Amino acid sequence: MAELITFICKRTVVSTKPVQAGKTYPLSVLDRHMEENHLRMVLYYPSTGVPTKPGEITTKLRESLAVTLTNYPIITGRLQKNDEEQWMIKCNDAGLRMIEAKARGSLEEWLRNVDREKELMLVYWEEMYHKPYFWSTFYVQLTEFEDGGLAIGLSCTHLLADQTCATMFIKAWADTTVFSKMMHPPFFYPLPSQRPGNGKLNQTPYTALINHYKTSISKSIDIVDAKHTTVTLVFSDDMVRACIAMAQPIDGTDKSSPTPFEALSGLFWVCISKVKGMRNGLVDMSIRMDMRKVLGLDKGFFGNCMVYNKVHLEGFQEDNLSQAASSIGEVVAKMDREGIMDLIEWLVCKDDRSRSLMNSCDLICASLEGVDPFSIIFEDVIVPIRVSCYVEPVSALGQVLILPAKPGDGELSRVVMVTLPRDEAIKMCEHDLILRLSPTILMDVNKP
Amino acid sequence: MCISPTTNGGVQSRRPLDFLQTVNLKYVKLGYHYLITHLLTLCLVPLVAVIVIEASLVNPDDIHQLWLQLQCNLVAVIFFCAMVVFGSTVNVMTRPRSVYLVDYSCYKAPSHLKVRYHRFMEHSKLIGDFDESSLEFQRKILERSGLGEETYVPEAMNYIPPRISMAAAREEAEQVIFGALDDLFANANVKPKDIGILVVNCSLFNPTPSLSAMVVNKYKLRGNIRSFNLGGMGCSAGVIAVDLAKDMLQINRNTYAVVVSTENITQNWYFGNKKSMLIPNCLFRVGGSAVLLSNKSMDRRRAKYKLVHVVRTHCGADDKAFRCVYQEQDDDGKTGVSLSKDLMAIAGGALKANITTLGPLVLPLSEQLLFFATLVAKKLFNAKVEPYIPDFKLAFDHFCIHAGGRAVIDELEKNLQLLPVHVEASRMTLHRFGNTSSSSIWYELAYIEAKGRMQKGNRVWQIAFGSGFKCNSAVWEVLQSVKASPHSPWEDCIDRYPVEAVA
Repeated sequence: MAELITFICKRTVVSTKPVQAGKTYPLSVLDRHMEENHLRMVLYYPSTGVPTKPGEITTKLRESLAVTLTNYPIITGRLQKNDEEQWMIKCNDAGLRMIEAKARGSLEEWLRNVDREKELMLVYWEEMYHKPYFWSTFYVQLTEFEDGGLAIGLSCTHLLADQTCATMFIKAWADTTVFSKMMHPPFFYPLPSQRPGNGKLNQTPYTALINHYKTSISKSIDIVDAKHTTVTLVFSDDMVRACIAMAQPIDGTDKSSPTPFEALSGLFWVCISKVKGMRNGLVDMSIRMDMRKVLGLDKGFFGNCMVYNKVHLEGFQEDNLSQAASSIGEVVAKMDREGIMDLIEWLVCKDDRSRSLMNSCDLICASLEGVDPFSIIFEDVIVPIRVSCYVEPVSALGQVLILPAKPGDGELSRVVMVTLPRDEAIKMCEHDLILRLSPTILMDVNKP
Repeated sequence: MCISPTTNGGVQSRRPLDFLQTVNLKYVKLGYHYLITHLLTLCLVPLVAVIVIEASLVNPDDIHQLWLQLQCNLVAVIFFCAMVVFGSTVNVMTRPRSVYLVDYSCYKAPSHLKVRYHRFMEHSKLIGDFDESSLEFQRKILERSGLGEETYVPEAMNYIPPRISMAAAREEAEQVIFGALDDLFANANVKPKDIGILVVNCSLFNPTPSLSAMVVNKYKLRGNIRSFNLGGMGCSAGVIAVDLAKDMLQINRNTYAVVVSTENITQNWYFGNKKSMLIPNCLFRVGGSAVLLSNKSMDRRRAKYKLVHVVRTHCGADDKAFRCVYQEQDDDGKTGVSLSKDLMAIAGGALKANITTLGPLVLPLSEQLLFFATLVAKKLFNAKVEPYIPDFKLAFDHFCIHAGGRAVIDELEKNLQLLPVHVEASRMTLHRFGNTSSSSIWYELAYIEAKGRMQKGNRVWQIAFGSGFKCNSAVWEVLQSVKASPHSPWEDCIDRYPVEAVA
């Protein structure tokens, strides 16, 4: 592969106003369970049409990033273990790392030929050092395309942030660049942990959720280093409607229609299970959803707020999408405030030091619909033309991320990024159900 | 280790004559000082009384006699008057022109260049050139250095690995020098074309064309400007530059001189493991100053200070002093500035040499007599007295000691018997800006101004030490109660100072 991307330099960016010395920030129970993972995002911006000198945009963005970081002391801090051997952040203005790179050709050409391997080159990442005191938790890469266009890559450890707040951070950065102020400042406060009327136990605790976490924690997984590839499919408004129609409960009960997430995740559950060779049943799957609304937290809440839950199905009929969708729907409904609070309380009491592998056991299907990346506007009206998300390392069974599509494509349209071992990915794209809906393929399986 | 924090505890043996410490004698000494200072006035009083008595006894006859005598000796009288006129003309013409400091400005770098302890250690570790003991050494030096967490490093050090290049060094020099000069020209309301003399000093970075040529180019200074670039002269080069400008202002009439003092950190970070060469990494920081001097008499009204004395002392003839601050390559070929263990002792010796010359120029007669008396007692009568250290607090109201490091300031505080308030400007400049080399004395002056302590008639003593080994002093007199100029580097933070240094 010829040198498409040239690395220019790596530097540290700090905030413009220093933080008070000695400030620390604890991590919540949900944060600590995500230690093994990191997330990566890429946003592509077309050129504004105004010719700029190479490096000019990068310098401007770097300066506004420094201003933005004033409100995010947690990002510029460093990980340390507190007295109870739990991770916490020491806010010491150490800064985040910024990588500057340039790419040959134009943005459009890149997007036509991109695949997982190439796209991951746009997002720099360093694994945690043995002693993380000097290890940056956030990395931002700015890649300027020689013929116009910009790719912004953000990677961070999942210990600190999930996709929602990572996106809000980039949005704050964009707002600072354009308007010099943030529209949605972040909120750093702990998860709700103690319910009012403390002492009164919940009558029917949602044990299934807790059990799922229990089993995941105690499981030991051999991470199989299969060669994964990622395929990005765009489902337009009509396609999603068709999918929902397919996923309607057959017995005509007055259950409400499945949501786009339930329909699409059911679809992929079925297809991927088939591709993996499961005859009479579906592969183990966990869904992952943002619980901010459920817990009544503001969108600016900074920290992990995504919760996993297992979906299972008894007596599955082949290609029965509605069965899959409805069982997903049942699980989603059960993830209400009570259930999540039970989980949080259980996790707090358990206080286990063992590493958990939440993202590694089953096929993961995450709903990132709450993430709103297309509202991140850096320059006038330049909207990102594509957004990609990754959660690494990928579970051995694979991963499905459901993201919103560009506004203007319709309210129900979605972008789905599926990460599977290479041969399974190819087979999945040729599955009947998928072909019936015929989504657009944005990013194809990488050519060997 | 060549720098160790000294405490005032081990000082007793050096104090002269313990009984001087008692309060009673302090007042006796003060009374003696006032007596000697006003001795002339006191002696004149009886003389005036005698003259008045004599004059009252004179009658018109005596005056008529005097007039006749003068008429007879007309030639002698005219000759006498001519000599007086001639003498006074020569005196006026050859008198050294007063040099006024119209204004000055100090550069403050942008806040993203501030380096906190953690980031210093993080970058030092990630660069990969330092071994564990070097990292630990730098950490200890940094903690005890007296530097705060708001000192500035150049942009090149923000990169991993640092992007050291001549272009980056030039960029640092441009930002600092132009930043200081822009402020100076704005505050002093002077046109670049009016400047006749330019002196720039920067010890460790000397490109071709010189930094003074860079200033001439940027500000389009006039073609017949007298420009000088002083390189390699260390942290005392600021005073040397002022001295040079002063001399040039004697021979060039009615003009302005600009003195720019700075240092360059970009290409001078040491990336090796020799302990004596690691210390500058922990102390030297980005900073620079620009000073506007004038010999125009009309500027006396608006000038802040008048230059009274400059005393330069060079100890380079002594080999140990010469090698005390030495730039060289280590065994791996990495360049750095090594500081010898004798630094404090040599600095003390250089200071003594300097104040021996400066003392008679500035000390009040009372102190000089005491010093002379103890000297005579020691030499002639072999009396076991410690050499008398004159009390410079009687000669000066403010002290600007080059912020070379905490140890230097501690040493001088002890040697000159200064009070904490006298060294406050130095300590706080070290805390806020680090060791900015030749420009630190100007940051300290700005501190005193920002605190509102400059009153008309006050005298300021700027002491700078530098490689060579040199000790240079400049004495200024305050012409009017001075307020800090706009864009002072202390503008936004003076209220937080003084801070207590971490022990």
